[in-house]
Amino acid sequence: MKTDGCRHWKEELGAYALGHLSDEERTSLEAHLEGCPACRAEADSLFAVSRLLPHADPERFGPAPQPPPELGKRIAATIGDERRSKRRQRRLRLGLGFGGAAAATAMAVLAIFVLSSGSEGGPEQRVAFRALPSGIKIAATLQPQAFGTEIHMYVKGISSGTLCRVYMRGPGGDEVSAGTFRYRWGADESAVLSAALDLSRAEALVVHAGKRTFVAPLDRGEATDSNAPQEEEST
Amino acid sequence: MPPGALTDERDVREAYSAHASELYGFAVRSLGDSGLAEEAVQETFLRAWRAGERFDPQIGSLRTWLFAILRNVVIDLGRARAARPTVSDEGVEASVEPFDEALLSWQIEEAMRRIGDQHRRVLVETYYRGRPYAEVADELGVPEGTVKSRVYYGLRALRVVLEEMGYED
Repeated sequence: MKTDGCRHWKEELGAYALGHLSDEERTSLEAHLEGCPACRAEADSLFAVSRLLPHADPERFGPAPQPPPELGKRIAATIGDERRSKRRQRRLRLGLGFGGAAAATAMAVLAIFVLSSGSEGGPEQRVAFRALPSGIKIAATLQPQAFGTEIHMYVKGISSGTLCRVYMRGPGGDEVSAGTFRYRWGADESAVLSAALDLSRAEALVVHAGKRTFVAPLDRGEATDSNAPQEEEST
Repeated sequence: MPPGALTDERDVREAYSAHASELYGFAVRSLGDSGLAEEAVQETFLRAWRAGERFDPQIGSLRTWLFAILRNVVIDLGRARAARPTVSDEGVEASVEPFDEALLSWQIEEAMRRIGDQHRRVLVETYYRGRPYAEVADELGVPEGTVKSRVYYGLRALRVVLEEMGYED
């Protein structure tokens, strides 16, 4: 199969797959391919690669951008927060009559939890943040989902570039992270986020925008600027 | 729970160190903004962790799974942008076609980065710039036959790298 006799032909196969051979070269190579299944197979596999080349942009063959070093830490921190609040939730469920359940049962409990929430795809709830400092608008709609709650956030009037961290506050004041987004003036005013907390159990929606914290209780739909801003927004 | 499921924080850290740079590189290419790309990658790992119990390495690679999640994240981001400035986004269906095309492009570009300089160079000169082999050979100070064989070994290297990356036709 891989005899030295084919070496010359094989080295032609790249140019052949790219359509770079002269008519003469191609004719004699194709004559060889007729009688050599190994070279034929090799040619086919190179054609499969050459067909992909037009999809790439040679201007982009340089080094790819790398994620900033703090991104990994931020993700680990968010997951850590979420795990701790999940564990508290689970403990709470276990306390309600599933006490002493083994690890295997914990899975079943979670499944029951998801099933019994039963509100997936239910009606969405609009949340209004009221009593906000003038010029700032924050609104959200919440939608129950199997995984928890889907949150559509809308923000306006804070400094462009502000990182907004969104949490849902559950029973007992636990905050479950719903993710973050960076507000950009005129561009990213809305974001879709999700929190692993059932909407029926959520008590408030909390937005940390830079150094400010905005809280909207879910039952009354009112909000206050719970922390006096420590730093004035420079819009 | 399938063995190999992504259940604890260490699994996520390992997944991050193995795949974050690729996911981020692609997210930047596809979203055109490093801030958005960071958010997309963060959201991807959060969703992966939340759904970690469902990840089954028997079905597909972790990389493929993470890219599938990133795909949904990017689509959601697109929806959120398309729906601006209202919060409700009903009826807005982001097209996935640009994502798939961008993913294909990005995979080939990434594969190009991973093959040797000499191989990439001859592919760029002969294929992308359409230059004659003799001219390229002259410039590189090698025989024309060497350019030809580098084109061959370059395509082979590209095929191997794409396979390693989990590219499927």
